[in-house]
Amino acid sequence: MTQQSERGAQSQPMTRPLEGVPLPELERVPDYERGFWEGTQAGELRIQRCSACGLFRHLPTPMCPECSSLDYEWTTVSGRGFVYSYVIVRHPVHQAIREKEQTPYNVCVIELEEQADLRICSNVLHMAPEDISIDMPVRATFVPASDDPGVVLPVFIPVAQS
Amino acid sequence: MTPNIIPADTNGIRDKAAIVGIGETEFSWDSGRSELQLASEAIKAACDDAGIAPQDIDGLIRYDMESNHETLLTQSLGIKNLRHWESVSYGGGAGNAVVGHAAAAIAAGYANYVVCFRAANLRSGVRLGRARGPELIPGGADSFAVPWGSMAPAHRFGMFVRRYMHDYGATSRHFGWVAVTLREHASRNPRALRRDPITIDDHQNSRMVVDPLHVLDFCQENDGAAAIVITTAERARELRHSGTLTLIEAAAQGSGPRNDGIIYRPDLAVAESEHTARDLWARARLDASDMDALMFYDHFTPFCLINLETYGFVPRGEAKDFVDGGGNIRFDGALPTNTHGGNHSEAYIHGLTHVQEAVRLIRGTSTAQPPHKTINRALSCSSVAQLSGAVIIRRG
Ligand SMILES: [Zn+2]
Repeated sequence: MTQQSERGAQSQPMTRPLEGVPLPELERVPDYERGFWEGTQAGELRIQRCSACGLFRHLPTPMCPECSSLDYEWTTVSGRGFVYSYVIVRHPVHQAIREKEQTPYNVCVIELEEQADLRICSNVLHMAPEDISIDMPVRATFVPASDDPGVVLPVFIPVAQS
Repeated sequence: MTPNIIPADTNGIRDKAAIVGIGETEFSWDSGRSELQLASEAIKAACDDAGIAPQDIDGLIRYDMESNHETLLTQSLGIKNLRHWESVSYGGGAGNAVVGHAAAAIAAGYANYVVCFRAANLRSGVRLGRARGPELIPGGADSFAVPWGSMAPAHRFGMFVRRYMHDYGATSRHFGWVAVTLREHASRNPRALRRDPITIDDHQNSRMVVDPLHVLDFCQENDGAAAIVITTAERARELRHSGTLTLIEAAAQGSGPRNDGIIYRPDLAVAESEHTARDLWARARLDASDMDALMFYDHFTPFCLINLETYGFVPRGEAKDFVDGGGNIRFDGALPTNTHGGNHSEAYIHGLTHVQEAVRLIRGTSTAQPPHKTINRALSCSSVAQLSGAVIIRRG
């Protein structure tokens, strides 16, 4: 996936997640994170939710930061949200990104519609970097990582295109 | 239940401790020597400046990131009995915090001469700006960021900056004025690594590394070491710089909520150091208008604007106007800021050089000494995302 990287020129959209980057080792992730990855394997975005007070939380943690309950469940959310912030990475800092010429790429913070401030880090596909903007509505889709298909990555696409 | 606030009269370190010595190695891209060598040289220089011998040191406060542990240093420095030692986590978050800890140790009587230091080959050794190797991620914040390509500090802080620009209308050009001004300060500083003046156009035309951050928005990655000697105010009156006491008036650290991974904080455009600032001013019973100079942790230029607002130098959203054109933050302006050139142009020693420059400004020995006013108080404040620290240095 060679992408144009000259400044000023319209850059190509990302069409799939990055290749060759480190991935979580699912056998070693803590119990309180595993439900997220089991969800993506099932094609669902599951977010940790407090069983006592109903608060969603991400990053996953053992305890509810609001009511201190240790009980939680994995709740499937709609996958709809909007771009809260983003960067366009033009200079590769990782060998695989440099060697496979995967710049530019975007990293976005997506705020999910279920709860204010509920955010996850991801990419927006099928959108030229210059066209990504804050508040842009997006929805989740799921792509197995090319280096470990057991790890399924949630990524986002613009709602207008879906 | 008692509210979780700091009572305004709680400042157990007020004026108890003084910075009596500052020292550093040369700053370089490749020091060609070990981190223990760098630490020993910087600490010796700081002791020389104070007028004490390294053997007099009985307290050491280092960064968690530091490779020079206490046993190595007691051996190298000839310390007879290390009465007190600590390490403070993070890089930018530990800057200033180590000085606050030292003041507390002095106030408590745990040691007579405490040294804070940072020594690292951050350029010729392991570089912080590079992604870690291809190792697998067992979980935690990285596992929810790295697979999507968020793998370096600039990626996370860039999210912060983008949101700040969106909410308050700051532009890259405003950040450019910070770069131009810091470089001008560095051009007067023979210690500085980058001394060639730049223009606003140089900044705007510089390579976009992580949009919205140009390469001239980044701090440097370099080798070098810096050290600070702290003792009681009473002892300071007997030492070499007895004519100009530089007292530690107040210090604070803070986290804010949900700071792991940086991007999950409730309002990404607002710095967590607002918590640090609130406690600092309450403890000191001062506010920004009492400060004659600002030394802020400039890992990226936009954090000049964010620090100005967080610590109350200007109302939120107005820093872009304050820094525009650079005049206000120049050494001869309303608020002399990073007169050494900062992490941006002098050297990146994780914020310790900022405290050193505050001391120089009060002594009157900065290479960009403000010609128009005496510096009686300076604020040095560190990193404004994740954990942060701040310290007020005043003329005794
Ligand atoms: Zn709860």
